[in-house]
Amino acid sequence: MRFVLKTRYAQDVDFFKHNGQRFWYGLLGLFVFVAPFLLDDFYTGELSLVFIYAIAGIGLMLLVGYTGLVSLGHAAFLAIGAYAHAYFMTEGAPFMVSLIGATAVCVVIGAIVGIPSLRMTGIYLAVATLAFAQIVEKVLAHWESVTGGHRGMAVPEPEIFSWSLGTPRAFYFLVLLVLIGALFCALNLLRSPTGRAMIAIRDSEISAQAMGINLARVKTTSFAVSAGFTGLAGGLLAHKIGYLAPDAFTILISIQLLLMVVVGGLGSMHGVIYGAVFIGLLPQGIAFLRESLPAGIGQIPGLEPGIFGLILVLFLVYEPLGIFGRWIKIRLFFSEFPLYRKSTYKRQKSYLRTERVH
Amino acid sequence: MLAADNVSISFGGVHAVRDVSFEVAAGQVYSIIGPNGAGKTTLFNLVSRLYDVDAGSITFDGEPITRVPPHQVAERGIARTFQNTELFEHETVLKNLLIGHHVHRQTALWEELLFLPKVREQDLVFRQQVEDVIDLLDLQSYRDQIIGNLPYGVRKMVEIARALCLGPRLILLDEPSSGLNPEETEDLSFWIEDINEELDITVVMVEHDMNLVNQVSDRVLVLADGVVIAVGTPNEIQGHPDVLRAYLGD
Repeated sequence: MRFVLKTRYAQDVDFFKHNGQRFWYGLLGLFVFVAPFLLDDFYTGELSLVFIYAIAGIGLMLLVGYTGLVSLGHAAFLAIGAYAHAYFMTEGAPFMVSLIGATAVCVVIGAIVGIPSLRMTGIYLAVATLAFAQIVEKVLAHWESVTGGHRGMAVPEPEIFSWSLGTPRAFYFLVLLVLIGALFCALNLLRSPTGRAMIAIRDSEISAQAMGINLARVKTTSFAVSAGFTGLAGGLLAHKIGYLAPDAFTILISIQLLLMVVVGGLGSMHGVIYGAVFIGLLPQGIAFLRESLPAGIGQIPGLEPGIFGLILVLFLVYEPLGIFGRWIKIRLFFSEFPLYRKSTYKRQKSYLRTERVH
Repeated sequence: MLAADNVSISFGGVHAVRDVSFEVAAGQVYSIIGPNGAGKTTLFNLVSRLYDVDAGSITFDGEPITRVPPHQVAERGIARTFQNTELFEHETVLKNLLIGHHVHRQTALWEELLFLPKVREQDLVFRQQVEDVIDLLDLQSYRDQIIGNLPYGVRKMVEIARALCLGPRLILLDEPSSGLNPEETEDLSFWIEDINEELDITVVMVEHDMNLVNQVSDRVLVLADGVVIAVGTPNEIQGHPDVLRAYLGD
């Protein structure tokens, strides 16, 4: 077991708690920077997709895992980000300006969507955001002058100062840098008063209020920031897809995003990364499953959403803290061995609190 | 300092609090006692604006707080604890206490996203102040523990600590001794005196433990069925016939 000797208060503020962490995260950083030189273009592309999911997941995690508000409509923010970015670029805005613009659009819309969250929580909010996502999908399909309707819309090549980022490797580095920036901002937020206020609201609204936290303000902020991150991911995703159509952003994507944060582990940024890797691998896993199952079962339409749902339910029942939670338990088991107590992580309260009425 | 003027609230047909008036002077320890269901906690919830009064008004430092939004009550300097503890379960003691500093934040969202030096300095100041409160209430050994793992008595103290982090001028304690063992209750009485005298915070508490009430209170208010039946010093209250009747029946 490691005991960290604290001699300065700054140690409670810093990201890394001890040198062991610095070493391992440094190694991880090194790996992701050399990875595209070791992998071929296909896997580099897949890894960029995982990173894009992770950026969207950061947004959703802030909302679901830290503020305790469930959204089943985050595909809509992904879509708005993607379309807004593609539209701004088609209109001639430079890449960075367009990406920031798309993020800003999502922040504003997120703040507006957040308003109902002041009155609704849990399952009711999930349904409201689901409805919002449906509306956005319809708008995208019918607002032809901007989105091209069902015909879709082509996304221009990304370039910064006439330096093309179209190759998988260049695009990988772009996405990686955005991901690092997004993680940096999100973790900063979480060690600041606003982030702590979100956590307070998640764990007890009533005492958050008694601590002087303005529920309306913090919840809307959380929604706005969350939508911003997801919209940012949407802008990058637009380049990855290359051609936008409304059916790329269905309810299934929203569920996939929620699956990502739940499977990864609610209430931790590690969980976002684990979840994104999981979601990135899942389609391959399902494709493999389809082949190995007998044709009658393997070709059933709707197998994919079925499997998503099943995994979500299994995690909620058996490992509500997700992959990251499981990892923490394994680590604790070894560091406390042989004194590990199973009850340490016994669940006392759930994050979705429709059942708890004050 | 804190005054209520003919405050009433009813839930359906239940008149939880009826025409209650009281006045707490600055620097006092003011206890509210009464049998179960007398409306003591409801009175607290009215002060911290979790409920809207049906009639009457509440003032703090001469300013009406009857209609301000709940979070502003804390901003004005009223902190509170809850009967069954309402802590942030999934976080450490330290984080809980830092949340107590929320009303003192001076930073904007964008500054926090970038964690500018200003935000860091503010956090270090908060951290320092949290340590002072930890020192005062002897919570050193629990600093980095998750609330969910702590025994009930410690949670109670953490909740008081969190309320103190707000830097309040008035603190509302809702049954601070419930669930504590006699030894812890004894400690609590000293801490209440410390909070009152050293930190110069006015204390209003709902309490059942009469020893504790007699030991620390300057004034006692007795409620029964939502109505004030007596106000006075602990000694006056103990022999008051109406109080005995409320507790023991005729």
